[in-house]
Amino acid sequence: MPDSVLSLENVVKTYGDFTAVDGISLNIPKGSIYGFLGPNGAGKTTTIRMILDIVKPSSGSISILGSPSALDVRNRIGYLPEEKGLYKKMKVWAVIQYFAMLKGMQKKQARDQAFSLLEKYGLKDFAESKVEALSKGMGQKVQVLSAVAHEPELVILDEPFSGLDPINQSVLEELINDMANNGQTVIFSTHVMQHAERLCDHILLIAKGKKVFDGTINQAKATVSRRVIVATKNDITQLHQLPGIDNITGTDSDFPNEWQLDISDSFDPQEILRFCAEKNVGLSRFEFTEPSLHDVFVHLVGDEAREHQFR
Amino acid sequence: MRMVWLIASREYLENVRTKGFWITILIFPVIFIGIYFLQSVLSDATPTRYYLLIDQSGKYEQAVDVAIERNHQRRVLQAFVQYLLDNRVETNFELTAANASSAADEFVDDVDANQVAALDDWLSNGGLDFALVMATPYLKKDSPPFEQPENQFILADLPSDVDASAAPAEIVEALRPYLTGRKLIGSGEDSGPLFALILIPENVDQSISRPNTAPQAPDPNSGVQYWASNLTDSRLPDAIAGSINAEIREQEYEKLELNTELVRNIQRTRMPLNQLDPSAAAGEEAVSMADTFRQFAPIGFVYLMFISLMQNVQYLLSNTIEEKSNRIIEVLLASVTAGELMMGKLFGIGLAGLTTIAVWLLSFYLFITLYDSSETELISQILEVILSSDLIPWFVFYYFAGYALYSGVFLAIGSLCNTLKEAQAMMTPMIMIQVVPLATMFFIVLDPNNTLVRIMSWFPLFTPYVMMNRAAANPPLIDVIGTTIVLIASIALVLWMSGKIFKHGVLRTGQPPKIVELFRLFRSPK
Repeated sequence: MPDSVLSLENVVKTYGDFTAVDGISLNIPKGSIYGFLGPNGAGKTTTIRMILDIVKPSSGSISILGSPSALDVRNRIGYLPEEKGLYKKMKVWAVIQYFAMLKGMQKKQARDQAFSLLEKYGLKDFAESKVEALSKGMGQKVQVLSAVAHEPELVILDEPFSGLDPINQSVLEELINDMANNGQTVIFSTHVMQHAERLCDHILLIAKGKKVFDGTINQAKATVSRRVIVATKNDITQLHQLPGIDNITGTDSDFPNEWQLDISDSFDPQEILRFCAEKNVGLSRFEFTEPSLHDVFVHLVGDEAREHQFR
Repeated sequence: MRMVWLIASREYLENVRTKGFWITILIFPVIFIGIYFLQSVLSDATPTRYYLLIDQSGKYEQAVDVAIERNHQRRVLQAFVQYLLDNRVETNFELTAANASSAADEFVDDVDANQVAALDDWLSNGGLDFALVMATPYLKKDSPPFEQPENQFILADLPSDVDASAAPAEIVEALRPYLTGRKLIGSGEDSGPLFALILIPENVDQSISRPNTAPQAPDPNSGVQYWASNLTDSRLPDAIAGSINAEIREQEYEKLELNTELVRNIQRTRMPLNQLDPSAAAGEEAVSMADTFRQFAPIGFVYLMFISLMQNVQYLLSNTIEEKSNRIIEVLLASVTAGELMMGKLFGIGLAGLTTIAVWLLSFYLFITLYDSSETELISQILEVILSSDLIPWFVFYYFAGYALYSGVFLAIGSLCNTLKEAQAMMTPMIMIQVVPLATMFFIVLDPNNTLVRIMSWFPLFTPYVMMNRAAANPPLIDVIGTTIVLIASIALVLWMSGKIFKHGVLRTGQPPKIVELFRLFRSPK
């Protein structure tokens, strides 16, 4: 693929007996916003570290911006690690300047860029403060800015939203969208599905080091069957007569008379209403929603995530 | 290389901007100058000390008086020599100093060997007044008058309730409150604690021991009794012992009907001893004071090296741990290679260490230039000798070698630990290792080519210290070349290993690795 900025081919990373990443392959097109989703300990951070050539894969190959190692093209990459931290004693603008210079920017240019970014994203008044004077959220914003100040072609953000309040989360979303509009490719990892749903063109879903899903949001949603939630005191089994209804199960909720109807792709949910009116099935609830990414996540990795939690 | 420079300059600036850095830099000269002044103040300010002399034998009172007077005259003389040095007209300093101090030494020796004669000579020649007249042509026109030090030991008055003819045990019992400081003893108008009681029992002569007689069991009540709570100031008891011994010898001569005048003169004959340096050029073999200092100078360098290295590696360690604990390291490693990061740190912090040494040397230089006295002049002359000697290149080499070696080790430690506390536990053995060459540095400078010292030189962690320590003594060429090769090889090995550990360690969280894991790490390709 000519406009692929990053491709992984069957990448494996083992630590002793433990396999952190197990045969991941993916392809990220230029200019996209790509989400790495997965439960805690799924291998997101390890995958990112391998992409950046901070750790070497045990096997498999990586091509990033046309090069086998991120170190060869490191000035074209921006990276925000999962755990956030900055030099506490440095001034805010100087930190951004320093990291931009490490990415090859000239001193003056880096300084100007630092000030303009701080102004654009609401931190102008803190430019001369020391990092230790910032709140955690502000510090994190500064760190994001320091990761992208050199305008990299590929930006990799590991859990950029964690620890930010809703307002700053939307500032960060704005920043990510700005970069995508600017032609930059953004990869970020998260386990908050709403961000991924709002921002991403593509997502990669991994669990226990294995790829569970890779594709667009719509493709992801298609993996979950469409469903209608109804509540009725009447006999629900009559609905089996409708040809588009595949399955009827009780919901997990506390209401005994609430049911989930799995429907086939071509089935029109209006048919259910029509059928119930005809057969005098009294509905106290009728709900048809598109599956959210959250549903997809729970559907695809729910069991494994829960298992992980109790391990 | 640009990245190394960028990292180095950030490390350097960050260090130099901290308060701690400047406190460390300034505390050293402040303490140095403080100790210098404190010492001269303390030696001038020894308090007046009252003593009591009860001589029941009636034979040695004069000998004790002479002892005390000698002690005083010696101080007068030392002050006088110092006065001459401070106020002399510019001449060949070393010569004057050497002459004056050797003359003074000779005089003091004389006084020690033969109390009355030398003192009599000095006094009958007009004593201090005459010496001052003699010295006048060599003094500066505006010299201040010579201030004679006050007599340090003053004879106290025997309290009226103490009977000097009572049994020694009773006298001691009666004076015990004065000796322990519970009561003050008077002397004319003044009073103060009683510093010492010299009690000479009536039958003291029975305790005289002679060679070739059966040794007597030690008896604390025999001989002259010197009672004092202060056990550290031995000047007075030494002087009294010497003086009384001289007196009883005199009595022996008389008993044997020897000519005491002749004996005195015989005792005062002397042969000069000249120290010569076989490695110096012909005509310059005489060992000067500067030569002696040159031999001792390595101690100063070793000490400077230790302090500076300790300071540097601490920075290195805490810096690495900071970056590690807040994961900046990950961003850095996505921007630069682990090697560049390591080199940047080594250079930046090494530069900060050099700044420290430069500031110290500068303040030392300012001190000896601005504060002009005979001591500082002496120091600056010594400094000149040292700077012009070959010690400086040695120091520069071993400083950098030591820094590379130790910082490599400490960097590895820092990269393996998440907190300073963890690091401290791993650091302790490294500090203990450095204490060995430091604790032996005086021994090494006295016997620099001793077998044990030569063996120590080959242990790379000791090499910079021990070889610096031996630098002034022309160590065998095999030692110099051999240890240098071993040292450089070790530096390369340590930097390579710590590079490996660094690369793995910095991304590590949790417990420091086990030894086995480290070995596995060295074998792994990356």
